[in-house]
Amino acid sequence: MLEVTDLRVRYGNVVAVAGVSLSVADGEIVAVIGPNGAGKTSTLRAISGLVRPSAGRISFNGTDITGWKAHRIVAMGLSHAPEGRRLFPQMTVLENLKMGAYLRGNGAALERTLQEVVARFPRLAERRRQRAGTLSGGEQQMLAIGRALMAEPRMLILDEPSFGLAPMVVTEIGRVIQAINRARKVAVLLVEQNARMALSISARTYVMETGTIVLEGPSASLRESPHVKAAYLGG
Amino acid sequence: MPPSPALRRALIGYGLLAAGSLGLPLVTRDSYHVDVATTILMNLVLTMSLRLEISTGQLNMAHISFMGIGAYASTILMMRGGYSFWITLWVAGVMAAVWAVPIGGLALRVSGPYYFLITFAFSEVVRLIFNNFFAEWFGGPSGLVQIPKPDPLRLAGVQLTFVGKVELYYLMCALLLLAAAVLVRLDYSRFGLVGNAIRQGDVLAETLGVWVFRYKLTAFVLGSFMAGIAGAFFAHSHQVLHSSDFSLEPMVLLVVFTVIGGTGSVWGPVVGTVVLTIASEFMREFHYYEILVYGAVLILTMLLLPEGLISLPGKLGRLVRRGGGGEAEAMGAGVAP
Repeated sequence: MLEVTDLRVRYGNVVAVAGVSLSVADGEIVAVIGPNGAGKTSTLRAISGLVRPSAGRISFNGTDITGWKAHRIVAMGLSHAPEGRRLFPQMTVLENLKMGAYLRGNGAALERTLQEVVARFPRLAERRRQRAGTLSGGEQQMLAIGRALMAEPRMLILDEPSFGLAPMVVTEIGRVIQAINRARKVAVLLVEQNARMALSISARTYVMETGTIVLEGPSASLRESPHVKAAYLGG
Repeated sequence: MPPSPALRRALIGYGLLAAGSLGLPLVTRDSYHVDVATTILMNLVLTMSLRLEISTGQLNMAHISFMGIGAYASTILMMRGGYSFWITLWVAGVMAAVWAVPIGGLALRVSGPYYFLITFAFSEVVRLIFNNFFAEWFGGPSGLVQIPKPDPLRLAGVQLTFVGKVELYYLMCALLLLAAAVLVRLDYSRFGLVGNAIRQGDVLAETLGVWVFRYKLTAFVLGSFMAGIAGAFFAHSHQVLHSSDFSLEPMVLLVVFTVIGGTGSVWGPVVGTVVLTIASEFMREFHYYEILVYGAVLILTMLLLPEGLISLPGKLGRLVRRGGGGEAEAMGAGVAP
């Protein structure tokens, strides 16, 4: 579904991503873990068209989308929930969700998606008229994911959904991601610093350090890798 | 389906604007009052359309230049080409919009202070061209004089003339209500929702599939069209044009009106323009300090009421309910000119 080949991203003289290749198959959950500054977010931003890669090739569903503008990539069915639970804080929960369906116009299909999303996140239904900025951290993350789902994507890119959340909420988010993946056959590319959660819900994992992939494989076997254990799972 | 609260507020706001502007000549026909009121209505078209552009997060310092382009276009077409005002009026808007495409297309590639500087530079270029170049068309430093008033209009068998002040006032009134209808309709539509989204996070909006650049350019071109229309009215009602009419100083006034009124709501610029124009008329004898006072009021508004005068009633209400009367008075004193 997604095929990234030798991707490079640089900001001026700073090389953020130095040749990354990764792939996500239909309906698969794939995780990218690694420390701060490894280039994980830059990789995602290049995939979703927010920065122009300096080299490499990105193809989605067989179409070369390298260098496309973000709005065209979203239209292809690739939704990105950016890091830091980015919402429109002054808008209500409902307005945020509607913005998620921006490309789909209005209509019955939209209403059905809205019902589905709200059924998945009952807390959002209770707070539909509340401003997004007043939600708790966990609720904000649910809203960010729910909003990305409003586009009915074929693939979901999640950047650090566990960031700044309490451990129990992180577990809940992980469960929600798995449930969405199963129910809707949505492929997920998940970037996480919380390696424990990422490894437990994904089928395959890439370990990224200083701009390159240093390790990759099935998540179950990476959990046993001495390097992953020492660096990411606390020994 | 009953109208939503937001739609009801929009209709009430528009009704108040229509009633207030159409009803004014019933209250006073004093020439000075009608003059001030006409200026207010013209400035409302400018500030409301400027707010449309600001609401996408960009402060366009060349807004007044598009008014100038409309003013000169309409004047030259009428005086040289012999066309009727009812044609030149719309051509003025179209001309401003046509120029807005490349200018906006260029300026909107950058944002924040760079956008501000590019549009400011463009406005100076336009002003200097009106002042120094093509003098046989734009009249050079002495400007254009003896511009004819709008032509009479036959509507449903009735001959309408636009010579007297009240007649011109009603013409401006019609133009304002048209522009406001479009702007209010947009604000309460998907277009308005997307504009809000872009202001609160344009990268985020982009990740949801919004083509932010095209949206900003649409707002820029539409805003410029309205400024061009206002320019045509200005030219044919004042009957004199000079490049300084479209310089930094009147542009700053438009920004002050809009920002003090509040850019978060379509009604903010209405409140700001009406309150500040009337206030400045009361301060006529301090004319030399006018800009100074505006500067001080702008700073106080930014500090005490960042969402503008339009947010004052809501804020006061909340303070009174909380029993913070003392603070409410202090805030009121800061903005009552």
